[in-house]
Amino acid sequence: MALNAAEYRVYEVFVQRDASQFHVNVGSLRAVNSEMALQMARETFFRREEPCEVWVVPQDCIVASPRDSAYLPVHTMDKQYRLPAGYDNAPRWKRFKAKAMTIEEVAEEMATHKQGGA
Amino acid sequence: MDEAQKTAEFMARIENGEKIEANDWMPEEYRNLLIKQIHMHGVSEIMGAYPEKEWVPKAPSIRRKLALNAKVQDEIGHGQMLLRLAEDLSRPYGRGREALMEDLLNGHVKFHNVFHMPAPTWADAGVIGFLVDGGAIITQAALLESSYAPYARMLKRIVAEESFHMQYGESVVLALAEGTTRQREMLQGAIDRWWEPMMFFFGPRQMGQSAEKMMHYRIRTKTNEELRQKFINRYVPRLQALGMRVPDPLVKKDPVTGEWGYTEPDWVRDTEMVRNNSGPQSQARLHLRRQAHSEQRWVREAVMHATALATV
Repeated sequence: MALNAAEYRVYEVFVQRDASQFHVNVGSLRAVNSEMALQMARETFFRREEPCEVWVVPQDCIVASPRDSAYLPVHTMDKQYRLPAGYDNAPRWKRFKAKAMTIEEVAEEMATHKQGGA
Repeated sequence: MDEAQKTAEFMARIENGEKIEANDWMPEEYRNLLIKQIHMHGVSEIMGAYPEKEWVPKAPSIRRKLALNAKVQDEIGHGQMLLRLAEDLSRPYGRGREALMEDLLNGHVKFHNVFHMPAPTWADAGVIGFLVDGGAIITQAALLESSYAPYARMLKRIVAEESFHMQYGESVVLALAEGTTRQREMLQGAIDRWWEPMMFFFGPRQMGQSAEKMMHYRIRTKTNEELRQKFINRYVPRLQALGMRVPDPLVKKDPVTGEWGYTEPDWVRDTEMVRNNSGPQSQARLHLRRQAHSEQRWVREAVMHATALATV
């Protein structure tokens, strides 16, 4: 490790706000070990909000992609065909006297809080 | 704390609507049911790419080729994400990716009945996107509230990507329905082939023991019959709007109960097909999978070896 031995290690902090979400990075801090890093994360980032779970990851364990667009999966060409919005089904269904359907509508129907509806 | 006490606390968490994480204590039965479900789901995503991949070079336009290829990429990606979850759960048993993949090749894990079937025409490729993905979306949307949080989170992402699959499948089917008599006949032929497999897809009304237990643990929250009814209720009116025939005279809505009738698929024949991988395309597709797995083993070994050398 090229770090100055006199300095604490840098940890990146990730928070999961509730069980239905993935962890997201909120910043970093220095700490003498991972236990202290967790403690510091609570002190630094979560004085008010109540996270579901916190991860601290030594910064030098993270492998990052270059920000250069050549390395990232950016949309360098038309990728409309990959997106729901790339399809104009609604007017076509209308000609068959039927309505377009969206996945949100299916998810809503399957949610248990909407019991009773067929 | 003894096992019974821990299980009681665990069940209290489940009944309270709490979510379980990979590293939480869980009854072995819960872990094994999750592995069974997610492993099967993961390998079905991978095997599900095969009938569609056959159509990438034969799709009728460059845009359809790109879109179908994108869908195949999505399915393989979903398989990879789900297998990771099954691997995390299998860690106490010392089983990783290699073992879970071998299970597929040795017939120790099943994949969905629909992916054992042939896709002889372009309309079949479209109907897979329309009906098979439509059915899969309904079952996956019903799993968004699963008690196992890593599964629920991953499904949220997967369902978002399936949104494109849904529009894509509808687009292919609409194009055929808007087309010539021959195109409409081709579409009807594909619907005739896929309707019965779709009735089997959701499983029997009388659910098996594992399925019942999955309901108990809230790994899933809807019965097979509820899911099948939602499917029929959504898709029969759409097929009828297109002027297509549903190839089952019993498919009618009971005006009193609102329940749809349907002819029972051949449960014995299809269960055996899935169990023995004896469907029309089972072995051919497994052969391709086996080939990919074994012929590329040397690549995996070489990069592992190179990485080990580099870190010495």
